[in-house]
Formats: sequence, C-alpha cells, structure tokens
Amino acid sequence: MPQVKIIARNFMDMVAALPAMKLDQLYQNAFICEAILRSLPPLAKKYVIQMLYIEEAVTTKSIEEWVLPDGLSKHKVAIDRLLQLRIFSEAFDSSGTSYRLNPTFQTNLQKHITCGGVLPREPMPSSITARLPSLEDLAVFALEQWECFLLQLINSTQAEKMTNISPSMMRIFQRGLLTQRDKEPPRLTESGFQFLLMDTNAQLWYIIREYISNSEERDVDSADLISFLLELSFHATGEAYNMNTLTEVQRNTLKDLADLGLVKLQQGRKESWFIPTKLTTNLSVSLTDSSSRKEGFVVVETNFRIYAYSTSKLHCEILRLFSRIEYQLPNLIVGAITKESLYNAFDNGITAEQIISFLQQNAHPRVSERVPSVPENVTDQIRLWESDLNRVEMTPAHFYDEFPTRDVFEAACDFAREYGGLLWEDSKKMRLVVKTDVHMHMREHLRRQRQ
Amino acid sequence: MVNATKGLFISCDIPMAQFIINFNASLPASQKFIIHVLDNTHLFVQPHMADMLRNAIAEFREQNSYEKPT
Repeated sequence: MPQVKIIARNFMDMVAALPAMKLDQLYQNAFICEAILRSLPPLAKKYVIQMLYIEEAVTTKSIEEWVLPDGLSKHKVAIDRLLQLRIFSEAFDSSGTSYRLNPTFQTNLQKHITCGGVLPREPMPSSITARLPSLEDLAVFALEQWECFLLQLINSTQAEKMTNISPSMMRIFQRGLLTQRDKEPPRLTESGFQFLLMDTNAQLWYIIREYISNSEERDVDSADLISFLLELSFHATGEAYNMNTLTEVQRNTLKDLADLGLVKLQQGRKESWFIPTKLTTNLSVSLTDSSSRKEGFVVVETNFRIYAYSTSKLHCEILRLFSRIEYQLPNLIVGAITKESLYNAFDNGITAEQIISFLQQNAHPRVSERVPSVPENVTDQIRLWESDLNRVEMTPAHFYDEFPTRDVFEAACDFAREYGGLLWEDSKKMRLVVKTDVHMHMREHLRRQRQ
Repeated sequence: MVNATKGLFISCDIPMAQFIINFNASLPASQKFIIHVLDNTHLFVQPHMADMLRNAIAEFREQNSYEKPT
C-alpha cells in the first residue's frame, strides 16, 4: 500500500526557501532570530552561540575540530541547516573555506541577548480592558473555534456554527485534504484522514503553512506575514494588546486568525484589542518539535472497547474513522475496535501506526501513567489485522530455465544479484526468477555469454 | 538455449499459496493461470492475474467477517 504522509512540513523549510533578500529582511526582527534559533538542531544552536561574538570568519577545519569523530554526521546536518537558512555564509580564500555568521542575524541576536526582547507593543492597562476573559475561558474559546473550523473543514454536517472564514479560504485549506467530485459530497482523501489524526500543533502548522503559501495570491508579502506570526507567538497569553499598533494588513490577518482560534478580538468603547490564546504561544514552542500535552480522553480496554470522555463532535468523527461507535452519552462516547471498522480505516489509507499513536497520545490521564497506555493485545491485534491485508506479494518478473551449463547459470545468478533483481533461484534444477526491470540487461548478458 | 517466460512472481505464506493453487484448480482449463509452482511459498503465474487474485483473496477474507447490525 503506498504510504503517503502529510508532512507537517517544518515551518523552517518554508522560511529557508525564501529568497535571500527576504531572509535578510526577516532577520532584522530580533524575535524571528530567536524563533529560528529555537528551531535549530542542538549542535547548530551551539555553533551559533559560539560564533555569536566572533567577527571574523572561522575555517571549516577548526569548526570540525569542535566535534568528536563519531559526531561528524550530526555536524554535517547542522552545518547544512545553517547554510540553508543563510545564517552561516561560506567564504573561499587561499587557506580553504571558512564560515561566518550572517551580520544582520548576529547584531540582532546580540542585541536581543543583552537587552532582552521588547515587544513593539505593551499590554493595555486594565482600566480600559475591564473584563478580560480568564485563561480558562480563553482556552475554551480557542478550542471551540479550532474544532468548529476543523469540523467545517471536513465538511461535516455536524458543524453547528459556521465560522466567518470566506469560502475561498476554506477551499484553499481543503485543497489536498478533500476531493470534490461532481454531484457527490466532498470526500476526505488519504492525506485528509492522516491530517485528522495528527496532534493539534502539527495541524496548526499545516494550516498556517497553507495560509502563508497562499498569501502571495492575496497581495500580502509572505515575509511580512511570517514575521508577524512569529512576533505574535512571543506575546503573553491572556494579555490584551491594542489594535492601533498594527498595520492594515496585520489587522486583516488577525481577523482570519481569530476565526481559527489563535486570538480573541474584543472591543471597548473607543479602543479594540486582541488577546493571544495558548494556540498562538504554542506556535514558537512547537518549532522545536516538542508537542504540548493536552488532556487525553480515550480509555482503551483489553476487550477492544473504547471509552472516550468527551463531548466534542470532532472527537466523535475521528473515532468513527477507525472504530465502531455504539453509544453517545452526554459526556461519554462508547465504541469498539472491530476488524471491519479497521479494514474500513485501512481502505481509506490510514496506517495502524497512526491509529495506535493517536490512541496513545490521547490516552485519558487515568490510564496514561500505566505502561503501556494502550493494552498490548489491542496494539498487536491492530498491527496483525493490517498485515493480514498484505499476505501476498506480487512482482512482475521473468522466469529463466534450460540453462546449457551450470557455469552459465551461476554467471546469470550473480549478474541478477548485482542488479538487485534476483527474486528466486533453484540451483538443483537450474531455474531463475528475475524482476522485469532487469530483463533487458539479462538478455544482453546471456547473448554475450553465448559468444 | 535459455528460455525466458514473462509472468508474475508471487511470494506469500504457505496457506495463501495453497489457496491460490486451489483457486487455480477450480477454474476451467482455458483459464488456469499457474505456470510453475516454484516451492511451497512461491509461485509463478500469468502476468495479468494480479487483480483477479486480489479480489479472490479479499472475498475469501470477507467470508469470515460478521458485522453486527446497527
């Protein structure tokens, strides 16, 4: 079965793909420098800090000496990453290559370290913002908006509230996740199913990526958008910030972000302000691929029953993907994992690993301390059912027999083995099975052998 | 002179091999597709049988399924 994974593609890859001028523009913002620093692999971080106050270029050889011999592969990865992001610039001179830190990046990071980060705006005084929502209210709001958005994304008829995102925007997000055939309701694609089973941060990054890649079409500079988003992620959750410090473009972006649940917009008598939620501050945290643990809600029992303590329709839809929902109570969803429901999921392109990791990541706190959080007989059986679908392997091939001598046979075997096309051989009866791609070469070889 | 035959190489476990051999035996002579039985886990069959075999295996698998009425 082809494995198509939605790569919750690293935000940094997108940043690295920006043209050089835009990258330099980005590095003028100290927060972006810090965010990018956070996202680097550990060895790369060390190199940047070490080179931070060195004005001249350092030769490649001396940098290689900082690493023990068995760390060379990690060293290569780190250097490649730094070059890709244009943090390191290469210089060639008579004594060989040397690396230097990007000057804009360097000065800004130095300033940031010594002066601390100062946001371009201060939280508003509480005299104006009398009734700020509490952190719990904010979390509930963010979750609600995000779930509503996701439900609408998969076009479920279960979505009660429609969000204010324009249909064209929704279509952009849905591209790649849903297929639309005429006269049929849109169906989730394989990547769509995998998207639903990812954790919230990965989903968030996917949506943001789509939003940014689409920004050029709406005449919004993607570098500005990226810098605004990264700046937002350094604001304090729950504090109100005045909207009059933002440009027109940023205000429009904020409206879209409010629909996704990233910020909450509020209006007072004269002023209007926005409040970042936990989802926004997670944006910069998740750059280092650490996932935030939210409350799990699923208990899986050894009799293959699932008890999900949740009221969310989204969770119900997700569980319906691979299990058979039996009862829906006011605070509980009861289901069972059956062979038929799993075959359904496998037909839709979901793999056993994705299902198992979803169950493990969302395990209810009561069972999450137990090792393993999902019973082994359930995980083993899910994997066995998946391999049951792959019992037979078929390869187009050619069958050779009636070799004149044993030497010709041995030569042909070795030839096939070199090309990686040998599937089966029988030395007693001198018979050979070779992949079809190698057949042409085999024919040439046998013709040459005859001469 | 070496003889080359084009076809499909099948690698599976012993029960599935027996199932395929049985399926072959149940077809009329003009539709028999096994060219060689290589050993008890490998077979060599005619090239365009892949889909038909997959359907037959899926049917066999579904004979054992029971879906509780909702």
